Amino acid sequence: MQNRNLNRLSVETSNRSRHFWRLNRNGRSRKSTHATSRQKHGAGNGVASRQNKQESFEQAPMYVAVCTYMGFGIVTLFGYFRDFLRAVGLEKCNLAQEREEQKDFVPLYQDFENFYTRNLYMRVRDNWNRPICSLPGPVFDLMERVSDDYNWTFRFTGRTIPNVINMGSYNYLGFAENNADFLKTVADKVQQYGAGVCSTRQEIGNLSIHEELEQLVANFLGVESAMTFGMGFATNSMNIPALVGKGCLILSDELNHTSLILGARLSGATIRVFKHNNMHSLEKMLKEAICCGQPRTHRAWRKILIMVEGIYSMEGSVVRLPEVIALKKKYKAHLYLDEAHSIGAVGATGRGVTELFNVNPADVDVMMGTFTKSFGASGGYIAGKKELVDYLRCHSHSAVYASAMSPPVTEQIIRAIKCIMGKDGTTEGKGRIRQLAENTRYFRARLKEMGFIIYGNDDSPVVPVLLYMPGKVVAFAREMLQRKIGVVVVGFPATPITEARARFCVSAAHTRAMLNQVLHHLNEVGDLLCLKFSRRKRPSSCSLSEETDVGLDS
Amino acid sequence: MNVGTAHSEVNPNTRVMNSRGMWLSYILSIGLLHLILLSIPFASVPVVWTLTNLIHNLCMYLLLHTVKGTPFQTPDQGKARLLTHWEQMDYGVQFTASRKFLTVTPIVLYLLTSFYTKYDRVHFVVNTVSLLTVLIPKLPQLHGVRIFGINKY
Repeated sequence: MQNRNLNRLSVETSNRSRHFWRLNRNGRSRKSTHATSRQKHGAGNGVASRQNKQESFEQAPMYVAVCTYMGFGIVTLFGYFRDFLRAVGLEKCNLAQEREEQKDFVPLYQDFENFYTRNLYMRVRDNWNRPICSLPGPVFDLMERVSDDYNWTFRFTGRTIPNVINMGSYNYLGFAENNADFLKTVADKVQQYGAGVCSTRQEIGNLSIHEELEQLVANFLGVESAMTFGMGFATNSMNIPALVGKGCLILSDELNHTSLILGARLSGATIRVFKHNNMHSLEKMLKEAICCGQPRTHRAWRKILIMVEGIYSMEGSVVRLPEVIALKKKYKAHLYLDEAHSIGAVGATGRGVTELFNVNPADVDVMMGTFTKSFGASGGYIAGKKELVDYLRCHSHSAVYASAMSPPVTEQIIRAIKCIMGKDGTTEGKGRIRQLAENTRYFRARLKEMGFIIYGNDDSPVVPVLLYMPGKVVAFAREMLQRKIGVVVVGFPATPITEARARFCVSAAHTRAMLNQVLHHLNEVGDLLCLKFSRRKRPSSCSLSEETDVGLDS
Repeated sequence: MNVGTAHSEVNPNTRVMNSRGMWLSYILSIGLLHLILLSIPFASVPVVWTLTNLIHNLCMYLLLHTVKGTPFQTPDQGKARLLTHWEQMDYGVQFTASRKFLTVTPIVLYLLTSFYTKYDRVHFVVNTVSLLTVLIPKLPQLHGVRIFGINKY
């Protein structure tokens, strides 16, 4: 008992001291990040060392954190005050309440559980769930809605807000489009197969178009075989229980998506969480798992599965794939790579993070991805060795119980993959990938120049701009909508309390003019709301200046 | 509105006290309270210090040891519904840095108050009782204990 407390003491003090000395997440001071990464990986050889320099998680000045807490404190005080007014009867209560006759029963739910929802979220919820009435391309139309009672109810005025620039949809390669030529094959397949499948894959729902898609996905990724599922979230939550079970260990990254966490919990395996993208933490856990085994019996684990994502959608950071693979090989664990946001969006030909790092796809045991983001469709896939995929065809919950992917969606994915691979005879796919990479680099460079704090890797098309304070989050979203730009903002408790952000998703369909318009408005809103917290020197286009940038970070 | 969408933290309440700048904000808010009380024209310095101590301990008791549960729905089906914020901190692990900090601060405030009230008897009794109400619930032996069923549900 004593030792355990001492260990926790040392861990906690090291956390505090890390905060005190303003070290970044990986335990290295920002000042010496460049130096140590060079020492570790040698002078600029592989992609890994280049990547270390490109990811940044700059921390805002301390006064920003203090103001954030002040903001939450004031909102909480007002929340208690309004609750008091509602209880006394001075303010109308718009919430659902228990019936009069049941007021003396044991309460159905705890009032405090809804505190945040009714006192903070309700006041600002016009920034979420906005109804869209066109396809989610680079520009879209929003339905105009107003509220007469401070967002408790909405009503539509009947007008639409046309041509709002869309910076929130996962439309990385621009396949969410309405082009009649491109969609002709999809229309033909609806004629041929119908709109729905009306069965599961294992019963009568295995269509020839599914086999064609799976063959194509396997070719695209460079693996032996693949299997597709109708829903991206369900791909994770239904297949992880088929792969691991009790007696297995899952090492999952801190910032993994809810679908991965749900799948891990449903499987019944033991879950341990390692710090985000931190190879030391992962290695320590692997060593401890192999030395100590299962918790009470100390038997060896049946399987150790490392779960990481290609691009983390809330941070924009990219997984350190070569290092994870080296660790996996050293300790004989398995790797599950979720490429929901990275497939089609990174890599020279859109093959995802395996191509970005020049890693052999056979090194990743289970490659998973979704078709929702870069392919403009819906659904997910799992790819890998033939034995693995054949096993999943029999044992996956989704194959047995969920209905198969519908034919027009399947054809949309087929035509998107053929376009990316160049199999349709045009260079449209290559052009889109190049356009996405250019847009990403340009957008990120301009944002850094303007002085915003953005997270993540320079190659990732997901750009989170940190806003920090709850009031600014809301003001930002409303102000951008007034300027006809649609953004997605997230705050506490979906993010840590001091890291509320706006998430921009760059698309290949955005033209330079659109990006310039967005950047121009961002600049104005940034000045208006004082959002430019970055304290780094504004980088020039020459990358050399970043290496000499050691002065300002302390 | 989803809790834990961007991270796998089941209950964000457990990490709030460890976040960046929270300790500084806490100290600053005590200072602000003290300044506000000092601005009252007819209050003498010992009374102001005793009032600071009392109000601080009262707020700490209410926020950390009375209010139970989370202000949002967590994905663990409400495991923390009957736990106060002190019991939720760091998932119940004792002697973490934040817990030690929150234990030491009332003690330091008490020492300062004793000094500035010149160890007067009445002030001493009042301040000591107030300090005890804030220190005793923090003992690890009282984790999850509800005396006489007060604040149980």
